[in-house]
Amino acid sequence: MSASISAGRPLASLSRYGLILALIAVFSIFSAAAPTFLTPGNLQSILVNNFTLLAIVSIAMTLAVSAGGIDLSVGTAVDFASFAFVSLVLAGQPVALALLAALLAGALVGAFNAILISAIGVSPFLATLGTLFIGRSIQQLLTNGGNPVYLPPNGVPYAFRFLGHGTIAGLPVPLLIAAVVIASVAVLYSQMRFGRVVLSIGIQPSVVRYSGIALGRDVAVIFVLAGTVAAIAGIILTSTVTVYIPSSGNAFLLNAIGATFIGTTFSPLGRPNVAGTVLGVLLLSIVSNGLLLTGLNFYWQQVGTGSLIFAVLAFSFINQKAVGA
Amino acid sequence: MSADVQFASLPAIADSDAPKSRGNLAAAALRFGSLLVFASIFVVFSLTAPYFFTVGNIGNVLGQSAIAGVLAIGLTIVLIAGGSNVVTGGIDLSLAANMGLSAAVYASLIQLGYGDATAAAGAILTGFAIGAVNAAAVVLAGIVPLLATLAVMNVVAGLELVLTENTVVPASTDVLSAISTSDSFGVPILAYILIGFTAIVAAIIQYTPLGLRLYAVGDFPDAARAAGLPLKRLVAGAFIASGLCGGLAGILSVSYLSGSTTGSGEMLLPVVVTALLGSVFSRRLVPTVTGTLISALFVGFLVNGFQLLNLPSTLVSGVQGLLILMVVSATTLLRKGEI
Repeated sequence: MSASISAGRPLASLSRYGLILALIAVFSIFSAAAPTFLTPGNLQSILVNNFTLLAIVSIAMTLAVSAGGIDLSVGTAVDFASFAFVSLVLAGQPVALALLAALLAGALVGAFNAILISAIGVSPFLATLGTLFIGRSIQQLLTNGGNPVYLPPNGVPYAFRFLGHGTIAGLPVPLLIAAVVIASVAVLYSQMRFGRVVLSIGIQPSVVRYSGIALGRDVAVIFVLAGTVAAIAGIILTSTVTVYIPSSGNAFLLNAIGATFIGTTFSPLGRPNVAGTVLGVLLLSIVSNGLLLTGLNFYWQQVGTGSLIFAVLAFSFINQKAVGA
Repeated sequence: MSADVQFASLPAIADSDAPKSRGNLAAAALRFGSLLVFASIFVVFSLTAPYFFTVGNIGNVLGQSAIAGVLAIGLTIVLIAGGSNVVTGGIDLSLAANMGLSAAVYASLIQLGYGDATAAAGAILTGFAIGAVNAAAVVLAGIVPLLATLAVMNVVAGLELVLTENTVVPASTDVLSAISTSDSFGVPILAYILIGFTAIVAAIIQYTPLGLRLYAVGDFPDAARAAGLPLKRLVAGAFIASGLCGGLAGILSVSYLSGSTTGSGEMLLPVVVTALLGSVFSRRLVPTVTGTLISALFVGFLVNGFQLLNLPSTLVSGVQGLLILMVVSATTLLRKGEI
């Protein structure tokens, strides 16, 4: 009996650290294959250009998935925030007000999901899929059929540029914002009662209900929170590129799902977790940056990315199965 | 007496008269409600839009729905065998990319001078291979379908880019033009293909023991395993069937567009919505092949009517979203009332 347990241990840790091993492997391969990969400039570029936005959207996704749901409308929240932000800045309103409106727009998308999921009882997948479709139509109606909204390059307030391109103590502002978001959500899960309740909703909702906890309310809060966090990504996206392109936020959707679920292999129980998600985003970022630098044919890069992720997933899941988790 | 018992066990509409089956009544209400919505939209368009209610136009809608319909039916098979939980259960996100790659293979083989038979075999084989990879990832490696098919989708979309270098690969042969033409009534051949394909798949899924087993595996995996069903083989088969549907859709799209085009990924979410919405058009509110066909046609008529009435087509995605939310909310509320 004890022998079988101790025999299971190394395998369990192997599965858990499979993600880290994959990261190290990918990092070493690209360091060897692309001479420009391991330079400070490129490492910063990975973090700023590849990591930041996807990390924030993936954290929003992790919130929804940890409560036992999924949020297919994270991209919609990104877009709505982006649209609100651009519109108000364009109308000459102060950036602070535009920021607030953008966060509110994201929260509104989340609230719409929350009503469907908590009050009516629609499954999160279907509810947020519906939101995604309605959101796409609304954006096209708002922009005369999908025309981008540009901000004049020299008419942008300083605070706006600062959000997208500024630095504090040499660190890029977008990266710092991402770090704050990641840290806050990590604290929410590890230190606050609410976070632990949400995790238990994701694992065993019936037990939570029997414990007399208002399940619906907590799930509603999580979806509003997910929309708001995604809105932060929308704000950074807009401040960086100074343009709003309708439905462009959906580009993050599948990668965010990928990062979140790759991250679940990092948890001993196969649950979504902040650290795992961040490592998942890091893996996706390094792979897409590294493949670019190796000078591989542009079209082969996507095949490479997909295959690598597939390999990591297969490795982690086969190990998990071997452990019986 | 015995006749009564037998009658009651038949899945007849008369069930709704039985006082004990409030759930059936609610389901019937929703089912007929949604069919009523379909019918009323049809009538409204017939009265307001010129040419809507003509054989040619209805045939056109059927033809235009063929590609999405075949894909949605493929997804339906996976939904049936994978169970109703979309996150942990059955889903195939690689279908749209599969169609794109299969179409690219077909068009490229034609460009290289091969015949239609070889090209079609290549496309179907591509679909089969993609389905087999999905099946292996889900059944052997134990990866969640949502995630496994997401990764496969990326690889497949990448392979399509490699093959076509993100350009349109034209292809026109006699066979392809034969598929994309219309008969003497102005009904596209694609429309007949859609109906024929649906009939065959529906016959297999809804009327054979194999289909019943797929439902059992999806809805009650533990019971299915206890009953000795080859669970893994059935789930793997569903993914392979879905892959084959992707290959077939690829061939249809080459014929419809006279070549392979980029941007097949755009089809993914509409196909997912079509397949999920399909369960509303079934008696027990579960995914069925015929339900998915009705759902695909519903969307097709909606788009067509909007075009004929000169309404902005941008509204279609919103109407689709609203529709799915209304229908699913109604289902959920009815089920709540039942408990």
